[in-house]
Amino acid sequence: MKFPSPSSADAVIAVSNLSRHFGIKAALDDVSVFVPRGGVLGLVGENGAGKTTLIKHLLGSLKAQTGSVRIFGLDPVLDPVGVLGRVGYLSERRDLPGWMRVDEFMRYTQAFYPGWDEPYAGQLLEQFQLDPAQKIKTLSQGQQAKIGLLTSLAYRPELLILDEPSSGLDPVVRRDILEAIIRIVAEEGRTVLFSSHLLDEVERVADYVVMLQHGRVVLNGRTEVVRGEHISAVLAFAAPPAKTPVLAGAHAVLGYGSEWRVLFGGSQRELETAAALIGARVVDARTPTLDEILVARAGGKGS
Amino acid sequence: MDVGRLAWRTPTGAMLWEIWGRHKVNFAWQGVALGAGLGFVQWKRQGVSEIPAAVLALASLAGFVGGYLHLLSCFGYVEMDESKVKVGYPSRLLLKPLRTFQLILVPMLLGGLATTAMLDIWMAFVLKPLGFLPAYDLWWISAVLLSFFWWMQALAWSLPLVRFRSLVMVAAALLHLSVGVLPQLPFDISPGWQWGILATLLVTAVPVAWLGLKLMRQGTWEGPSRISLLWSRLFLARARGRRGTFRSALGAQFWLEWRRQGWLLPGLSGGMALLGFPFLFFVGFKWVGVGAPPPEAILALMFIGPLLLSGVLGAAMAKFNQLDSAHELPGYIAVRPMTNGGLVLAKLAMASATSTLTLLLNVAGAILCLVIAGQGTLLSKAGLATPFGAVSYLTGCLPALLLLGIMIWKNLLAGIGAGLTGRPWVVRLFGFWRGAVGMGLVALVMAAKLYENFREGLLHWLTGILIACLAAKIVVSIAAFSWGLRRHAITAGAIGWIVGGWSVCSAFAAGYAGHVCNAIHQPGLQVWVMLGGFLILPLADLAIAPLALAWNRHR
Repeated sequence: MKFPSPSSADAVIAVSNLSRHFGIKAALDDVSVFVPRGGVLGLVGENGAGKTTLIKHLLGSLKAQTGSVRIFGLDPVLDPVGVLGRVGYLSERRDLPGWMRVDEFMRYTQAFYPGWDEPYAGQLLEQFQLDPAQKIKTLSQGQQAKIGLLTSLAYRPELLILDEPSSGLDPVVRRDILEAIIRIVAEEGRTVLFSSHLLDEVERVADYVVMLQHGRVVLNGRTEVVRGEHISAVLAFAAPPAKTPVLAGAHAVLGYGSEWRVLFGGSQRELETAAALIGARVVDARTPTLDEILVARAGGKGS
Repeated sequence: MDVGRLAWRTPTGAMLWEIWGRHKVNFAWQGVALGAGLGFVQWKRQGVSEIPAAVLALASLAGFVGGYLHLLSCFGYVEMDESKVKVGYPSRLLLKPLRTFQLILVPMLLGGLATTAMLDIWMAFVLKPLGFLPAYDLWWISAVLLSFFWWMQALAWSLPLVRFRSLVMVAAALLHLSVGVLPQLPFDISPGWQWGILATLLVTAVPVAWLGLKLMRQGTWEGPSRISLLWSRLFLARARGRRGTFRSALGAQFWLEWRRQGWLLPGLSGGMALLGFPFLFFVGFKWVGVGAPPPEAILALMFIGPLLLSGVLGAAMAKFNQLDSAHELPGYIAVRPMTNGGLVLAKLAMASATSTLTLLLNVAGAILCLVIAGQGTLLSKAGLATPFGAVSYLTGCLPALLLLGIMIWKNLLAGIGAGLTGRPWVVRLFGFWRGAVGMGLVALVMAAKLYENFREGLLHWLTGILIACLAAKIVVSIAAFSWGLRRHAITAGAIGWIVGGWSVCSAFAAGYAGHVCNAIHQPGLQVWVMLGGFLILPLADLAIAPLALAWNRHR
């Protein structure tokens, strides 16, 4: 059984058959996603695939047109207080009040969360090397991401939603943020959903991966299972094909001359059978990275 | 011939072309305003207009001031970026291979030339023929406005990140105002000295702009300024010792609302009442040889001012970010675990605090003006504003002031329901509807004045109409509150606060209005004004507000 699945008990996030249209454009089309307590789900997909739209539904910023969204079994639109009080959120847009100082923003946020852990907030402040007297608008992009993460973590939310947390950040800040997330997952067993373009991050952290394409879920399962269901292989032809070979089950076929690299969805045996049918043999096969799978799924050619 | 391509052949041409391309529509509007001003002059000369010349002069003056400020924003590079107003030299031009002198001289000289030409045309053909500033020398006004123009450019470009830059600019503006009125002062300052002071201002603006921009180009202004950092650290040190956490989420949200817009009305209205009006009435008028206005006028101005200002500021009260044209709820507020009713309550509380502070500051301003005027004690003058005569000034004043505070609060919240939807088309539609209702009421009153039969019919049905309006208001409110409760947009406690507050304030307004009718011996009006007291304060708007915010928050 694939997991997350509708049958999973104790799902913190339960999205069922969610569809959303903006005018004639379908931003989400029959999306179902379930995340169990303590699970870490990586949401991946190209720009405009619907990741942020899905996250906005989880936060109640968008109302489901069809289907349902439940967080901790509650509707985030009908019960924003019940849901948002248990959710930490870091936005890609860094939508922060630039006029506030760092300490003012911390005090402001603290007021909404009875579970705010002051020593922990102080520890994060020190760890992220933020100056409490500094205005948020004068912080660098990385520092703004850090204060956003600090105010999302300091009340120890049961569910952490991170929308492109490391977008536009340098590797050092990315590492800091990722380590903070990993620590939360490892030490506290919290549920995390995060979207990212940087799939090496997802591979490193996520137990589950959901890939969206044009608003539809095209991949959904445990990260290692998703990777294991694909093969990156090199096919060798006796004579160079006149045009791009068509391989049944391939998500992408790229190359030139007599050697072509394919991203295949299926087992090794299925690949060898399909290759033989077009007069090729498999000379190299390995488990692809998530990055390769996303690129192949999003823009690859194949049958 | 492609003028744009030709212009790009020289850096100066390119800089000018960019300004022209960005603002050409507004330049056309300046032409329209000038045309209207010329039309006013012709109208006045032909004597066909019954509109007083002063109104024409004021309308023309507004056109000129608008044009002048527009030129200042064009050549000062005031730009909009992602709904935010950016004041400062654009960094895209700093990267061009040009000397700093060229970067400042092009907009300063060409802007100055454009401004002076515009001023001279307006003064010669519109303002002076309309009788405006007859005593002033055109050269003097041109030079003062040119100096002001250059200093605003210089300060806007030179102090990009300095805290209190606005205050420095206001100080420069006041300095120019003072210099501008030098020829009219009763002091013995020779024209040579007057021109010397003005020439110093004119000449120093250029090096200030050059030095500021040069430092900015070298990165000296990067990051927060030393003054800013010092201020923050001092403030933080004090804050650490004094401040704890907020007692509740509502308290935190109230603090945010207050910081964003709560101080605006007290600042503007109180500033005018405590500084502007006393200065104008008792210093400025004496300079130009006009006596101070009578106390009745002072009191009226003190109390009408905040009413008008609150009406203007009320248009933006629903916003969470004044600079955002879209009214959208910022993400950092939308994700907080607070009901929509709670967010609305914080706004209502902020409006109450703002109204109270404004009222107190204006009362203090009125006292100050009356004391400076030396026109008797406060009580004897305050009695003028009440219908209670000379016996119970104080008891008469307090309800009147309370009613004034309620009206300021009401003005601040006018249109909150539409504004909180976060949809500009709803705000525009609501504005249109209010305008239509207002014009309808004016038409109704005029028709009642002109046609006796209509007036009698209207008065016959007026009580019924008012009761129907009140019933509709209550029904809409009940429906909105019920819907809000079902959708968890508001809690029963918040409804209690809103309905309780509305009931008390409306009962007070109605009771006081009825009492005034008796006091002025117009008992026939009593029922109507009392019903008006219940109608004028918002209830349906407040009931709809949480739902409107829910529509904004959960799209």
